[in-house]
Amino acid sequence: MSSIELQNINYIYSAGTPFEKAALTDVSVTFGGGVITGLIGHTGSGKSTLVQLMNGLMKPTSGTVLLDGKDIWAEPKKIRDVRFRVGLCFQYPEYQLFEESVMLDIAYGPKNMGLSDAEVKRRVADAVRFVGLDPSLMQKSPFDLSGGQKRRVAIAGIIAMEPEVLILDEPAAGLDPVGREEIFGGVRAFQRERNSTVIIVSHSMEDMARYSDELVVMDHGRVHMTGRTSEIFRRSGELTKVGLDVPQITRLMNILRNAGAEIPDDIFTVDRAAEELTKLLAERKG
Amino acid sequence: MNNEQKTPYISLRDVCFSYDTESGEKNEVLKNVSLDIYKGEFIAVLGRNGSGKSTLAKLLNMILVPDSGTITIGGHDITSPDMTEDDVYEVRRHIGMVFQNPDNQLVATVVEEDIAFGCENLGVEPSEIRRRVDEALETVNMTAFARHSPHQLSGGQKQRVAIAGIIAMLPDTIIFDESTAMLDPQGRDEVMQTIARLNRDMGITVMHITHNMNEAIMADRVIVIADCGVYLDGTPREVFSSVERLQSVGLDVPQVTDLIYRLKKNGVKGLDDALDPDEAAAQLLPLLAKTIPVKDAALGARKIPVS
Repeated sequence: MSSIELQNINYIYSAGTPFEKAALTDVSVTFGGGVITGLIGHTGSGKSTLVQLMNGLMKPTSGTVLLDGKDIWAEPKKIRDVRFRVGLCFQYPEYQLFEESVMLDIAYGPKNMGLSDAEVKRRVADAVRFVGLDPSLMQKSPFDLSGGQKRRVAIAGIIAMEPEVLILDEPAAGLDPVGREEIFGGVRAFQRERNSTVIIVSHSMEDMARYSDELVVMDHGRVHMTGRTSEIFRRSGELTKVGLDVPQITRLMNILRNAGAEIPDDIFTVDRAAEELTKLLAERKG
Repeated sequence: MNNEQKTPYISLRDVCFSYDTESGEKNEVLKNVSLDIYKGEFIAVLGRNGSGKSTLAKLLNMILVPDSGTITIGGHDITSPDMTEDDVYEVRRHIGMVFQNPDNQLVATVVEEDIAFGCENLGVEPSEIRRRVDEALETVNMTAFARHSPHQLSGGQKQRVAIAGIIAMLPDTIIFDESTAMLDPQGRDEVMQTIARLNRDMGITVMHITHNMNEAIMADRVIVIADCGVYLDGTPREVFSSVERLQSVGLDVPQVTDLIYRLKKNGVKGLDDALDPDEAAAQLLPLLAKTIPVKDAALGARKIPVS
């Protein structure tokens, strides 16, 4: 399982011009293996810059990006390998579909890695399984699919490269509840089966409460806090201060606590709240 | 609202629409949809991806034309074969649309020019354009950014500029097609406050398409599109009380509505229903306070491991 470590990263856009703007300031953070980490923060907090530094699409102004302890820019000519190992799926990836069939589109990445046809085929089949695409769609044009299906084809295209680190920028934006569940369920299955490192950029606190293990909170180009998802959502006051939200359930639990009810402070999903409150209210009856 | 006594502003009767796929099949999206929308309503439209929400929106301002059925707006049949091109423009001036991606709908390099774009195309007098642009900027709280480049704005600010561009055309209805989907929590909040103000203070009829439950409960009326038609239609409270019916078509209810529903199902008595945390708290607190010594409950609760 791979980890990505960023050390003292600074990134300045348009350096040396009047439009110079620091996007990241002294960022040091490690994304460990084997978990899903949510990367959250207001618009312009530096999330997208950060993920593009992680797979070598951009080079930090200063600081080091380590993939499994090795500086990814040590040999700039080998940066392509880093991009195979660190898969980055942009926001609205369905706009990047281009092939004639779903099958060809998903196979595009692995083919470019120079894999054998048999291996490409296996990986495509695996990826299709992870994202829950109906195999009968494989020969269809990707442009005939629904939005949710297209999104899954695009994500499958990245998963088929079997990256050690999978980064997804808002993978469920604009999807309905079932679509979100399918995408996150697939990502979770991939992470478990391959024991890979997964980073998800998201604005949905509800989704992060449900699907992430750890969180990195960005604010104005700096890492504001990091920790287990449960720990971060306990600090809802701080989240609100940096322009973020907390799930409706967390707000309810805060109101109950502030009114004096003794409720555990780790509840931020409907499942947990229902379980806990049922227990509390049932106990009282007896 | 006593909708029965009023004349609907927008009226759909037996509207059918299907898309042609590349492989030549017909994909039926809306089937015999009949729906009345009244002036000044704030409607949230929910539905799964591909359910036809956006299709419905696009039929209302004639980006799409139904296969069959009639749509009348303000008494004019916009599906009539006598519609001229000028009539179509007139419909689009009345029914403004704001889309999902702010970057796809800003055209100029300066905020105020972008807002003026629609008016210019309508041939509005320059002095009148100036007045409308200033007013629209104020309405969306973007006056300070009038001379900025739209590209340096946040997502929420860009959407507000897009909204201002629509307002400047003096529409009576604005359709927001997932206009908050790409925004961060603060941006969403800015846009939702703006939408609520347009509806409340300017009487603009709002149709807001969204997957976000917190936004849906801000509306007066929620319309759920499923099975090629209007599946549920009522106040947020009425619609969200049908938890099972919504879930059976793959949709959610607000988190606290779901919680209260599950607690009731688990046998907890004395609960009604709730749309927001305050309502839920008002029902839960008396129950929590009544029956157990608060300290014992806390001890018990702390023993439960973090899952």
